[in-house]
Amino acid sequence: MPRAAAPRLPRRRPDPFPYLLLLPALLLMAAVNLTPILQGFYMSLLKLNQFTLAQYLDAPFVGLDNYRRVLFDGASPLRAGLGLALRNTLLYTAVVSLSAIAIGLGMALLMNRDFPGRNLARTLLLLPWIVPSYVVGSLWGFMWQRDVGIINTVLVDWLHLLDERPFWLIGANSFWAIVIPTVWRTWPVLMLIFLAALQSIPEDPYEAATLDGVSRWQQFLHITLPLLKPVILIQLMFQIIDNIYSYNLVSMMFGNGAGYPGEWADLLMPLLTRQSFSYWLFGQGAAVSFVMMALMLVFVGLWLRAFRQQMSDTPHA
Amino acid sequence: MSPQQPHPLLFRLAQGLLATGLALGSARAAELNLWVMSTTEQQQADMRELLKPHLAANPALRVNVTVLNWESAWAKVTAAAASGQGPDVIELGSTWVPAVSSMGALESIGAQQQRELGGAQAFMPVMWSTTHRHDDPKIYAVPWYADARAAFYRTDVFKKAGVDPRDAFANWGSFKQAMQKINGTEIAGKKIAALGYPGKNDWNVVHNMAPWIWSAGGDFLSADRKRSALNATEAVQAIVYYTSFAAEGLVPRGALEKDSGQIESGFFNGQYAVIFTGPWILKQMATPKAKGGQLETLAASNFAIAPYPAGLKGNATLLSGSSLAIMKSSKHKAEAWKLLSYLTGREAQLRYSQMSSMLPTRLDAMDDPQLKRDPHVAQFLALAKNGRHYPSVAGWGPLESVYLKNLGSMFDMVGGVRGKYSPLAVKQAMDAAALEADQVLNAAQ
Repeated sequence: MPRAAAPRLPRRRPDPFPYLLLLPALLLMAAVNLTPILQGFYMSLLKLNQFTLAQYLDAPFVGLDNYRRVLFDGASPLRAGLGLALRNTLLYTAVVSLSAIAIGLGMALLMNRDFPGRNLARTLLLLPWIVPSYVVGSLWGFMWQRDVGIINTVLVDWLHLLDERPFWLIGANSFWAIVIPTVWRTWPVLMLIFLAALQSIPEDPYEAATLDGVSRWQQFLHITLPLLKPVILIQLMFQIIDNIYSYNLVSMMFGNGAGYPGEWADLLMPLLTRQSFSYWLFGQGAAVSFVMMALMLVFVGLWLRAFRQQMSDTPHA
Repeated sequence: MSPQQPHPLLFRLAQGLLATGLALGSARAAELNLWVMSTTEQQQADMRELLKPHLAANPALRVNVTVLNWESAWAKVTAAAASGQGPDVIELGSTWVPAVSSMGALESIGAQQQRELGGAQAFMPVMWSTTHRHDDPKIYAVPWYADARAAFYRTDVFKKAGVDPRDAFANWGSFKQAMQKINGTEIAGKKIAALGYPGKNDWNVVHNMAPWIWSAGGDFLSADRKRSALNATEAVQAIVYYTSFAAEGLVPRGALEKDSGQIESGFFNGQYAVIFTGPWILKQMATPKAKGGQLETLAASNFAIAPYPAGLKGNATLLSGSSLAIMKSSKHKAEAWKLLSYLTGREAQLRYSQMSSMLPTRLDAMDDPQLKRDPHVAQFLALAKNGRHYPSVAGWGPLESVYLKNLGSMFDMVGGVRGKYSPLAVKQAMDAAALEADQVLNAAQ
């Protein structure tokens, strides 16, 4: 029997009122976000250095010359050490993102169990996340000191794990000197997010799996992990963006002197900030910021394209 | 319709208000903003004290003092210079004047004003040379205070090790031998390291190396000031000599991640027999611990000062300091000039020298018998005559950043955590540093 065609509802004109309500917020957002972005882009087209800084937006217009310099001119001072900073940033991003997610997930699974004092434990575990990143940088900067730092005291004097006090703030170890505090500060918030996601997973699949004799590990692999996948994917994307743009910790830990943390702890953002400000190449600095922003937009676009389906699934889907 | 005539009463009222306003305006206190760096322990209180005579002589004047930290001052000064929203009178580090003046932010000091101060001949020539760019005869600032650097050494340690300080600080060879002899000397049951200096995590890396580079006959820029000279033989020799103390264990490895303040604390605490620093620690060593000083320490009662040991081309020290300038944006330039000339005058310089242990920049103040009564200050005043300063070029700021980074990186090598330390490796690193410095110089064109 042919189905009766559903009656077509008359197309309603969109109500302008909600849009009017949104308008002030949109205008404010545009003023706060868009204006500096546009101004920054215009700066990237100017020869803006120490001699022209006072002219600001009236500085000589050089078109795309700043982009040519930062992308293709090996003699641009802004590019000194860029390769090493890129390597460090990629390694740092990979290690921090994966470690923080793994620890956050593991701790969320532990905190999802019932045990006395669970609420207190959750609160205490969140403490590192509450500490501002610049305080984390200063504190760990003291802790990593070779002679008087608590880390060498523990490793060498108390646990006798090492014969000699290593340097943490100079040389290759400085990579770990920035990775470990970042992971320490990041995993608690991930634990909180994963815990919320875990608590939204219904009990039924676990009960059915237990009745079928499926082990806890198999339950984690085949129930928990697939259901958490959307949350994990979106957190991984946020972590990658956050860590590529990481600045505070390195700046606070190595801010004295030239602010150069050495060839193993220099990241892209500290390098670009340091070199565009200390060499007074503000136009080129703006250009390189836009190159980074463009690369990040491409990354986010590709990520969304690859994982859009998984990320739109809810954990309890 | 014809324009309305104002009502006679209203007209009178307006006239009266205007006259009252003008009278009030002329009697109203002129208000000046003054930015200074934190050089003394209580800079704000010291400035109040220092300004008292000037304010008493100018009762209609008010001066708002803002104290900036040296670490963050540069960003604030450049922001003020770029935006034109700065104070009336500003303190500028001696290396900053060429850069800030090249931004067009400073009012030039005219010939008549210079004459009022006694002209260039009234000031230490090296300090006067920092008040303008080498390619611009206009004067943009007036030297306020100076500091030189010298060796502070422990007399008790030298005595116990049997080292005569006069021989030790005679030349580079005798200094190295003395440090080898002194290293590890026990004082009060504690071994003391021969020398203390910071590594790369410090603002003073370039300032610490400069006297050695000059004493070897090297410099930071070529004679035409267009290229870096950091990789020239003399400069490299000096860098190798200076870093060799750490490479040979005469500077403890742990010192290499410290900054200048921590090294000075180490000297007070008996960790190092010799450090090279400025007169500012004299004040600390004369102040009781209860007031935040170091008077009771063993170092404070057993120290003496010596000049840098002589290299192949004699011995030089870094003479730096601060100048005062008037910003173009000032709306009270006449009052600002009066304040500047008061602060850079003889009496105020002498008073500020007592407060900060810094040296005056006026020659008539340097000759003050009361100032010379302190033998340590007298020694610094004598050393200042051998003082040198960096080239007065507009692009010194970026250049110093390049040098700071690259000279600082030497200490990673010396500390054994980056490559193998050798004179050849130092030369190669300085070649790379000079290349980067040349790129920065070219980019500034």
